[in-house]
Amino acid sequence: MKKFLKRLKHANRISFISLWFLLFLYLIAFLADFISPYPYDLQNREYALCPPTAPRVFHDGRVSLRPFVYGIEIVNPAFQEYAADTSRIYPIRLFAKGTERTLAGFLKTDRYLFGTGDEGKIFLFGTDLHGRDVFSRVLHGARISLSIGIIGVSISFILGLLVGGVSGYFGGKTDVFLMRMVEIIMMFPFFYLMLALRAAFPPNLSSVQVYFLIVVILSLIGWASLARIIRGMVLSLKEEEYVLAARSLGLSSFRVITRHILPGTFSYTVTALTLSVPGYILGESALSLLGLGIQEPYPSWGNMLSVTVGNLRILTGAPWMMIPGLFIFLTVIAFNFLGDGIRNVADPKNW
Amino acid sequence: MEKMLEIKKLEVSFRPAVGESVKILRGVNLSVGKNESLALAGESGSGKTVTARAVMKLLPNNMNFEKGEILIRDRNVMNLKEQEFRKIRGKDVSMIFQEPSSYLNPVFTAGSQVLEAVKGDGPGRKERTIKLLNEVGLKENVFYQYPHQLSGGMQQRVMIAMALINNPGLLIADEPTTALDVTTAYGIVELLKEMMEKHGLSMLFITHDISLAVNFANMIAVMYAGRIVELAGAGEILNSPLHPYTEMLVSCLPEKYKSGDKIKTIEGKVPDFRDLPKGCSFHPRCPYKKEICLREEPGEMKRGEGIVRCFKYGDFVEA
Ligand SMILES: Nc1ncnc2c1ncn2[C@@H]1O[C@H](COP(=O)(O)OP(=O)(O)OP(=O)(O)O)[C@@H](O)[C@H]1O
Ligand code: SF4
Ligand SMILES: [Mg+2]
Repeated sequence: MKKFLKRLKHANRISFISLWFLLFLYLIAFLADFISPYPYDLQNREYALCPPTAPRVFHDGRVSLRPFVYGIEIVNPAFQEYAADTSRIYPIRLFAKGTERTLAGFLKTDRYLFGTGDEGKIFLFGTDLHGRDVFSRVLHGARISLSIGIIGVSISFILGLLVGGVSGYFGGKTDVFLMRMVEIIMMFPFFYLMLALRAAFPPNLSSVQVYFLIVVILSLIGWASLARIIRGMVLSLKEEEYVLAARSLGLSSFRVITRHILPGTFSYTVTALTLSVPGYILGESALSLLGLGIQEPYPSWGNMLSVTVGNLRILTGAPWMMIPGLFIFLTVIAFNFLGDGIRNVADPKNW
Repeated sequence: MEKMLEIKKLEVSFRPAVGESVKILRGVNLSVGKNESLALAGESGSGKTVTARAVMKLLPNNMNFEKGEILIRDRNVMNLKEQEFRKIRGKDVSMIFQEPSSYLNPVFTAGSQVLEAVKGDGPGRKERTIKLLNEVGLKENVFYQYPHQLSGGMQQRVMIAMALINNPGLLIADEPTTALDVTTAYGIVELLKEMMEKHGLSMLFITHDISLAVNFANMIAVMYAGRIVELAGAGEILNSPLHPYTEMLVSCLPEKYKSGDKIKTIEGKVPDFRDLPKGCSFHPRCPYKKEICLREEPGEMKRGEGIVRCFKYGDFVEA
């Protein structure tokens, strides 16, 4: 693994950076409860669609050692116009007090990693229509969006490798049967298949249930095309001479497939894999957009973004609401770069 | 005496994607005794590799067994299921190949590939592997190297280690030195001889080089167009070849001509299996051909220890 990172750093700087960026995202998603200054569902009705508050260090020409935020003055509550009130200063504190919540399922605390205490407000990414802190919601939403990709891809990866490997290696009737199955799945347009599968389940499921449902649906659709491509690669790889040599040593079919044939597909599959993670993130967004995904108040990048779609007032007046979209974009790009880098590095001829 | 390998009347056919199936092996008879080496010699395309792969039961998908028997340690393995035959591979019979570079998996270290070949687990697998690597003339660090970091000769030594790790009784070596330069090839040949001695190995040594065959083995089988046309001891092959084809092969050996002679080659081409000449398939190239050669196929005739298929030595016709 260390060698791998070294090679990646050496061969492809941008994908190395992407890797760290993604790890960073996963870390903050993991620590979302702890890092975010507000609970994701805490509503501040009077501060709906408030623009981001900037942390500052200069005041009246003097430098303050402790970063602070100005108070927020409500200029016109009907049209959500706000201004900074430079007369009120709220220093940003570490381990600030706030509403009590439960961390990691058991730890009850009213402390937050950072915040302004009771009076001031710190909305780093602004607030949404209900006055909820977008920053906190982005952090929590990252959990859904980032994990859905990884779990979904893992499931379809395993299914795809297994079915593709068996189909290509054994051929004959097994191959015909498995490939017809794959074709049936692939025949349906992705989007409608997803909708149909989702529609087969009751709409009023809990967020956790919906989450698993989405993962399963997406990966049940995703494995088919992977299996087909793997099968094609296995068909040619099994004619490789080292496969013949491995068989001449009396290795079992399972071992020959898993150790000598499938690794040959890795430079493809790993790339395909990293490249398909975005599909899952977007798939979740699409379901959320139709109200079939993760339900409010629980945030996912998809359902946060879905509020902005077709809403001109938000698009022009509250662009910070599209920050989740920026995160989706960055994640997708990072996965693409990472996939690219891995493809280079996974080829032993480049070592 | 116990036979390590016996092939009786083996027929293998090739089924092309279009068109009729073609016989590649046409009744091959061979046997390798314990501790013996048999060289299988013949031109490119005569069916040597197909014979070897048939013994390993690893024929290409488009080839089929038609008839015949294969016995390994006097046990008929023709009707064994793949599951059962797999236990024989590596343990009773192993194979090494012509191009070591493409027969090693490029993504794993040499050591892990030898290690993988070990049958059954138990302690000391790694020590055994390293010991064997040493024995075939490789340093310990080769264990951790990838195939592309090794030279052709070293790769072939790794292949030999892989093939011998389970102490098989029989090793099939399919032109193990063809892809190597002369000095490296010499090293491999010496190593194989040493391994035979040390491990009580029997060997089916395949080569297109008759001088190498004579150097290596005590018995030589000469193959032509999917048939063994002559089987004899190394000395007889060299000094008194019977079959006209063997005669030609031997007369082309460099030792046989004086300086200033023109380099001899065999006239004519290897026949096409799809369109074999009627009668003796060698007759278009044969200087001794008689009228019967164009009509009938010669059968196997005994001559001392060996056999020959040629109407020069009688008119026994193949059934
Ligand atoms: N996989 C295959 N598919 C179709 N035909 C094949 C295949 N392998 C071998 N053949 C054919 O079978 C015949 C015998 O081939 P074989 O490889 O046994 O020759 P060989 O004696 O080993 O030659 P060489 O010295 O070149 O290795 C040839 O005519 C060849 O074209
Ligand atoms: S049978 Fe006839 S053609 Fe064939 S090798 Fe003998 S003499 Fe030549
Ligand atoms: Mg060959």
